[in-house]
This record gives sequence, structure tokens and C-alpha cells, in this order.
Amino acid sequence: MSASKISVTGLRKSFGSNEVLKGLDVEIAEGEVVCVIGPSGSGKSTFLRCLNKLDELSGGTVIVDGFNVSDKTVNLNEVRQHIGMVFQHFNLFPHMTVLQNIMLAPVELKKQSPADARATALKLLDRVGLADKATARPAQLSGGQKQRVAIARSLAVNPDIMLFDEATSALDPEMVGEVLQVIRDLAAEGMTMVVVTHEMGFAREVADRVIFMADGLIVEEGTPAELFGNPQQARTQDFLSKVL
Amino acid sequence: MNIFRAGKLAVAATALLGLAGGFVGVSAAAASQPAPPQTTVTGETYVIGTDTTFAPFEYRENGELTGIDMDLIRDIAANQGFTVEIKSLGFDAALQALQSNQVDGVIAGMSITDERELIFDFSDPYFDSGVQMAVAEDNTEITGYADLAGETVVAKRGSEGETFANSIKDEYDFTVKALADSATMYDDVKAGNSVAVFDDYPVLAYGINQNNGLKSVTEKEQGSSYGFAVNKGQNPELLAAFNTGLAELKDSGEYQAILDTYLEQPAPAAASGFFGLLGDSLPALMKGLGLTLLATGLSILIALVLGVLFGFFKVSESRILRGIAGVYVSIFRGTPLLVQAFFFYFGLPQLTGQSIDVLTAGVLTLSLNAGAYMTEIVRGGIQSIDPGQTEAGRSLGLGYVTTMRRVVLPQAVKIMTPSFINQFVMTLKDTSLLAVIGFAELTYQGQQIYAANFRTGETLLIVAALYFIVINLLTMLSNKLDKRFNK
Repeated sequence: MSASKISVTGLRKSFGSNEVLKGLDVEIAEGEVVCVIGPSGSGKSTFLRCLNKLDELSGGTVIVDGFNVSDKTVNLNEVRQHIGMVFQHFNLFPHMTVLQNIMLAPVELKKQSPADARATALKLLDRVGLADKATARPAQLSGGQKQRVAIARSLAVNPDIMLFDEATSALDPEMVGEVLQVIRDLAAEGMTMVVVTHEMGFAREVADRVIFMADGLIVEEGTPAELFGNPQQARTQDFLSKVL
Repeated sequence: MNIFRAGKLAVAATALLGLAGGFVGVSAAAASQPAPPQTTVTGETYVIGTDTTFAPFEYRENGELTGIDMDLIRDIAANQGFTVEIKSLGFDAALQALQSNQVDGVIAGMSITDERELIFDFSDPYFDSGVQMAVAEDNTEITGYADLAGETVVAKRGSEGETFANSIKDEYDFTVKALADSATMYDDVKAGNSVAVFDDYPVLAYGINQNNGLKSVTEKEQGSSYGFAVNKGQNPELLAAFNTGLAELKDSGEYQAILDTYLEQPAPAAASGFFGLLGDSLPALMKGLGLTLLATGLSILIALVLGVLFGFFKVSESRILRGIAGVYVSIFRGTPLLVQAFFFYFGLPQLTGQSIDVLTAGVLTLSLNAGAYMTEIVRGGIQSIDPGQTEAGRSLGLGYVTTMRRVVLPQAVKIMTPSFINQFVMTLKDTSLLAVIGFAELTYQGQQIYAANFRTGETLLIVAALYFIVINLLTMLSNKLDKRFNK
């Protein structure tokens, strides 16, 4: 338990009378890369959004990086600075330049002076291969470029954990690779990551562990070799037979 | 009849805004507190209410109030050593203001009647009036009451003329229609909507002399006398000073001189052309325009603050805040602006016993009204921004306020700006409604001018052109600023 970066116990979530998560238990160790797969509506994204409390929990306990997220008195703004999140639809701020998008949080949170934030932002842009787009507006970028900027923006607050919510689902196929490459690099650097994805090949390649979810429950989990090579549950076999 | 009408207005306004009958009782008690004992008028300043235009008793010439009533009250004040501040409110509004102690006295060519003596104290009569009938200049068919069978005549609402016309309408078989002021009555007759008008003879005589297009066809009917009024039991020293002053002016011959100025030797009507009218009326209209812009500017600023505040209430997670904003918006969107204006100017002072000046009441009305619409604009603007924007900001660890300020609002303001400009224009036009409570803005000034010169169409054309020019200039400016700052 002591090595757990993320510890989820009995997590439940309902939207009205619709129960989306029906009691999840997950432990994720520091530096571990966990891919979450499963059919649409299985609760993958909701699970991810409960980790940084973008969605309110209905029950259970979530402890992230030592913070009890399910405790109502915890300072969420502080917790969230330890957790980067990347969205399916990028959610870049359209009224700011790429550089301003990345600098906003470090400067507003007084983590860095504007000059330092700028230097960090340029370094991050270089890391995602977009050093020449610093002054561009989000509208001038391709989907893949937007998502790489969004990743750089999340990294700017220096998080310990990164959450990816179907980060490549809204991209044209030829741009998926460039984004996956950035995620792959992060994994190699030892970042703790939870990746909700439909890219089975990527999950198999990068994940330390794969979780298969269906109907608000974890049906099966294991190493990529176990889960993709020898799924035990009929539900998992059925899903994999359709997507592989 | 006038008393009942005037009283009803405030009660109706009060009731309309959902205040219980019990409040009215409380307010009546509060409004009729005895005035502090006062024995002398020397050095005092009294606020005197009057009609907007009741030529030749009160009207505007080059923007200045003049007429028999005005000369009389000013000369009496000078004679008795007090000063007067004249408020040109309109007849109903002046009586209303007197009842709510917004003014100390009223001189408005007001007939002394038994009903009015129940609620006001009157001075000695200062003028003996009477009702006369007039028809269009080219009308040769109507020469007496007997020719009115089956026709419609017009009279001023609540006036002696109306009472007289009603008293003979059955005998001569005609219908009486009531309008609010002389100028519109004369226009009604010229337009052929009514065949004749019944009006006070000095007013009619003055209008005919000003080429209003009418001619009188009957002798003056013996009518009532005009008196100066104070609220019942209030300002007795002012009433006494008026009587003393009036007597002294009569003795000195000054009184007759004033009457002669307006009745015996009426100023010859200078039938100036359109540009003459434009030149004559522009100074007063510009003064009105200034007040229109002042009221608009103040109201929009306050409305903006209210709109942002309640707009945030509306998108907040707190049910209570959303409820407060909801009630505010539904009250001010759910009642007519005119009723709100009457309520704030006449109703509120009766409820609180605290008088309120017309600019404050006007700005209060407009800003609360526009604020309700602004609230909806702000709410709509914020809600039009993709929730993903807020999620992105919050997931970076930014607080609600910072996310709003740096992420949501800059985008929302861009979306709201055209609606803001639209509301600005609406509010500017809505200021014209404040003419009814005697706020001397552009429309009011226009009414004053055509009430005195009877050139309704041309005057309104100038007023409309001024609104048009100013609104379009401001809209162009706003759009330029919008383009510049909201790229």
C-alpha cells in the first residue's frame, strides 16, 4: 500500500438514478502506466474524472498522491496541481496564444515568475516538438498539435500523475502517432499515468497494466500480455474479438 | 374627478407590485406627519409643482418657464421675501407630488373644487376661468352646441371642460373623449377625429392666437376659479404669504399687468419656418438630450454591475443565490417599465415617507429594469462557453474565480458585447418614458415645445432625428470598440 500513488476503494458514482460506477477498487503504484479499456458507456472516463474530482463522488474513497480526494475538506486546487489531465477535445483556451495557454496556471498559481514560466513553457513546447508555434493561436493548429500543446500545458504545473481521457479519439488517424509518441516519452521518463484509450496496440506496447471495464465494474486486469494474450472473462474476450 | 384619479394611480402602482393593503395605511400615516411649525416665509425656499404646459398659465419660451402662474408665483415670492424652485411635473404628477409632500405647493391653473378642498388647502382665487368650445378654422357647420348631435368632442381629462361637456352631452346627444393635454386635443380636432374641443377660455384664446388652427364658436361658460394649493394642513405660512402677496399685487396694479401681458396683448405668433423652429427649440432639446444621456449612462453602469452580480448568482451552484436572481429578474421583466417608474417616484415616497428626486427615481427604474435584462445576457454568455473550458482550468488547479476571470469571462464577454450594445440602445430609448414622471429629458422637452407652439409633427420630427443621430453614432462607436477589443 505504501508504494501506491493512487488508491481507490469502493468508488461509486451515480448521475441521478443512473449508476455509472458500481464499486471500483484500484491500486496504482508510482511510475506505473495503467491503460483503461472497455466499451463506450462502461464508466472509463467517469472513473478518470473522479480521480481529480471533476465529477463528484457518490461513494467510496480516492487517495491520490497522499491526498484524500473524497474528503470534502481537502483543498482540491492543491491536489489538482499534482494531477495533469488531458481531454479528448483538447480544451485549449482559444483567446490565448499557445504560450499563454501553457503559462497561465504556473503564473496564476504563483509557482513561477512570468519570465520563468515563459522559459519553462518554451522548453515544454520544444519537448512536444512545437517550439515554432509559441505565438500561434489554438485555431491555427491541427488536432495533433493542439493535443500536444494541451499535454505541455498540463506538464507546466509539474504534476506527479497524468490522466489521459481518450486523448487521441478526436484526432485524424495520421495525427494519432505524434500524440502517442509524446505519451510514450512520458512513460519512459517514469511518469505515473492512467490512460483511457481505444488504441489497443498502444496499450499493449506502453502499459504496465491494462484494466478492462464494462458496465461500471472492473471485469479483468493484468499485464498486456495476460489481458490481450489470454483473457479469462467471456466479456473481455467478446470485447477484444471486436476491436482487435 | 381629478382627485380620485390621482389617488388611484399611486394605489394601483402600489398594489401592482404586490404590496399588501396594510402598507398603504402605514404609508398614509407616514406621509401626513405634521410639518415643523413655521411662522415666517422670509428667506425660505419652497418647491412649487406645476403643469408641464398649460399656456398661458405655464409654458416654456426658449426653454424658460413662463406664463401667468409663473409670473404670479415669482412676483409674490419676491414681494414676500421667499424663493421658489419650480418643478414642471405635469398636472396629475404635480397633484400626486403635493400629496406625497414631494413639493410644498402647486400652482397649475387648478380650479378650486369641493373634492379638491378635501385634500388640499387653497389660496384666495387668483383667476376666474370658464369653458369655451372651439372647432377647426375651416369648419362652418358647427356653430353651437346644437350642431354636435351624433358627433365626438374632446376635452382635457379631469378638467372643467370635461365636466361641462359631460353635463350637456345628453341634452345635445354627443360623445366626449378625454385626452391629456391641450396640444394633442387641438391636433385631434384638426385631424377630424373630434369635431370640437372644450377647453378653458384663456388657454383656448392663447392657442388660437398662436395659430393653432382653431376658432372659438361659443361664449365663455361661467366656470370656476383658480387657486394655489398646499397639502392639507401643511405649509400654512406659505398659503398666508401667497394671499397677502396676491392682495398687494392687485393693489399695486402689478396683477393686472401680468394678465394683460398674456391675455390682452398676446405675443404675436411668429410663424417661423422649419429652420426657425429648429433654431428656437434646439437649446431646450439639447438640454433634454444631455439629461437623456446622463440618465442612460448612469443607468447602464449600475445595470452592468447588477447584471454581472445577478448573472453570477444565476450560474452559481447555490440554490438560494439562483432563487434571489430569479425573483429579481422575474419582477423587473414581468412588470412594465412605466409602472416601475410611477412606483419609484410616487409609490415609494408614500411607503417610506422619504421623498425622492426625479433623476434618482428615473435612474433607479432604468437601472433595475436594464439590470434584469443584463442578468440574462451575462447568464447566457457564461453558459454559452463550453464546460470543457472550465474543466481544463479547474484541472490545472486554478480556483473557480481565477478560471472565471482568465478563461470563461474573456470569451463570454466577446459573446455578450453585441447584446450589451443592444441593451444600451434600449435603455437610451426607454429614458423617454421618464417624461411621465416629469424628468426633463429629450422627449419631455419636445412635448413642452409643441404644447406651446402647437407644431406637434415638426417638433416630434426633430426629437426623433436627435434620437436617431445619437443612437446611431453611439452604436457605431460601440461596434468599433467591440471590433477593436474583442478580436
